[in-house]
Amino acid sequence: MTNSVHIVEEMQHQVHETADRAHYVNQWVMHHVTDSGEWHTPLWSLHLPPWISNNAVMLIITSFFLIIGFGSFFRYQKGKAPRGWTNALEVFVLFVRNEISIAYLGEKDGRKMAPLFLTFFFFILTANLMGLCPLFSTSTGNINVTMGLASITFFFMVFGAMYVNGPIKFFKAFAPEGVPWPILVILMPIEMIGLVIKCAALTIRLFANMLAGHIVVFSLVGLLVTFGLWALPALAMALAINLLEVFIAFLQAYVFTVLSAMFIGEMYHPAH
Amino acid sequence: MNVAVFGAGLVVFAAALGIGWIGSSAMKAMSRQPEAASNIQTAMLIACALIEGVALFGAVICFLAN
Repeated sequence: MTNSVHIVEEMQHQVHETADRAHYVNQWVMHHVTDSGEWHTPLWSLHLPPWISNNAVMLIITSFFLIIGFGSFFRYQKGKAPRGWTNALEVFVLFVRNEISIAYLGEKDGRKMAPLFLTFFFFILTANLMGLCPLFSTSTGNINVTMGLASITFFFMVFGAMYVNGPIKFFKAFAPEGVPWPILVILMPIEMIGLVIKCAALTIRLFANMLAGHIVVFSLVGLLVTFGLWALPALAMALAINLLEVFIAFLQAYVFTVLSAMFIGEMYHPAH
Repeated sequence: MNVAVFGAGLVVFAAALGIGWIGSSAMKAMSRQPEAASNIQTAMLIACALIEGVALFGAVICFLAN
């Protein structure tokens, strides 16, 4: 009798301990995916000054990496097919210019706007991949960063289209010809709100993809802390999800660029 | 049990249904028109991303509610 009571107490104790550890893991995951004023790594722990946060440091590193990387990998090779790293860069650059920029904006505007989409693509790609490297965190997993990127798209959707088409034609694009006015009264505000909603969707898509992916990876690693060695298979699963995240990093950079090009192209050429 | 967990399950269910549908249609289209495979793949990825965006809207709300 006393023995069984003892066993029940022991089991309850274990359940409480597991719940405590799960709570600890929960906080640990949240600490790792949210922005903070510190930069913790296994090697060093840095308390950043109040005017800069962890993700801002990551953004600066991303920018410097891109500038230095492109500067050192690109070699202008006259009169022949490029070789080495320049060739590898050319594959991506030509893909973004031909398949995204020119495909959605037309030959003339596409060539003019290609630098914007190249910047979007490489910046988001680098920031996404940086989140998968040890020591660094994901700056695109912060809604402020993705909103900043989407507001650039919004700027070109509104002011770029005004510059290209003129302000009158810009507003005319919201009112298709041959539509009776009672419908226009409803349609025009919806179209205008649609502008903002498109950019909000861009924001949330990139942010939530990056955040959710990292939460999944951290949670699977956290199962080891919660349940001990019994959860060792979760580590293999975490590795698999991490590899999936590499694919998603490319996919989301591509999707953000394509959708930006599509939205801007719609505003630049409202006829079709 | 938390309601947000139920919501997350619902989001996964609906997103899987939508993306599965797109995937199956794209497979059928690609097997019928193998030469158009690259165009179909691009369109498929964009449609998947749109659905994923809506699904993640739901997921984010579940996170916030939890």
